[in-house]
Amino acid sequence: MNKRLSYTPLFVLSAVLGVALVVGIVFRTPYTFHGTVIDPPLPVTDFTLQTANGESFRLSDAKGKIVLLFFGYTNCPDVCPTTLATFKQVYDRLGEDAQEVRFVMITADPDRDTPDKVAAYAARFNPEFIGLSGRLEDLESIWSELGVFVEKQDTGSAAGYLVSHTASVHVLDRNGNLRMTFPYGTTAIDMADDLTQLLKQPKQE
Amino acid sequence: MKSKLAFVLLLTIFLLSACGTTGEFKVMDAWARPAASGENGAVYFIISNATDTDDILLSASTDVASAAEVHMSMMDDNGVMSMQMQGSVQVSSGESVTFKPGGLHIMLIGLNRELKVGDTFILTLQFEKAGEIAVQVEVREQ
Repeated sequence: MNKRLSYTPLFVLSAVLGVALVVGIVFRTPYTFHGTVIDPPLPVTDFTLQTANGESFRLSDAKGKIVLLFFGYTNCPDVCPTTLATFKQVYDRLGEDAQEVRFVMITADPDRDTPDKVAAYAARFNPEFIGLSGRLEDLESIWSELGVFVEKQDTGSAAGYLVSHTASVHVLDRNGNLRMTFPYGTTAIDMADDLTQLLKQPKQE
Repeated sequence: MKSKLAFVLLLTIFLLSACGTTGEFKVMDAWARPAASGENGAVYFIISNATDTDDILLSASTDVASAAEVHMSMMDDNGVMSMQMQGSVQVSSGESVTFKPGGLHIMLIGLNRELKVGDTFILTLQFEKAGEIAVQVEVREQ
């Protein structure tokens, strides 16, 4: 027997094993959501609000789809258009999966925002986007259930009062439960990745 | 010999940089999001002050809206966003101030025409030292 054992095969073998181990660890790492995950997911009480042309929108009709809820107002020049522009990018990034997601803006200013106004505002970003308003008491119960803060502010602006409001996006999963929130400023890429991941999870019957 | 040369070079650089502080005062990359007539809008830009004096943005005006105000969006720890009107904005010497979504912006109140992607309009900014600066604003998605 040759005493000089060749180390080359051994080295190659250990290198291959090492790489396989690293790859295995990387792929076994569970997906980390960018949004703030709510665990366990919270059931959300069904609601009905109004959209354009006297039509209504009932949350439970969207069951089986992911629903993104954003609270804003049409007089808002900065944060609300920024979020809706992000929604538009998310919609485009999702491709066909966008059909499994409902993009909804609910007014934080029902005194000035008629259903038609909010609907037209949201649709200007994407005709599929839904804009909702309704009676103050209906809106208030939604705001309070989801922990959405809404307050009129008189700042002396020529725009009249402004509205301070929670700017995060609420994500309802396909079972209609509040699953996640995206803080203001979450990028379209991060939102789309999270939604794609959520869509992979099975629906409950 | 070499060290003498290096010294002269360093001295030159030092002197050049010392008198280089009086640069330009300018407003760059002004843009606005599309918006419908009757709605409100927002304009964003960067103010760069390379001069050796501090300046202050006092007000803004434009023909496309009934009023233009300096506002700042601010988010608290609970994710609640509020806007506050700003009396003025300091632009210190050697610094730049960025007006961007979710922060400082010029709020356009009551647009008298639709702002469509690709449109341009003029926004006039009034500064304490630099005086009036008219900037061309481009309408774009982001």
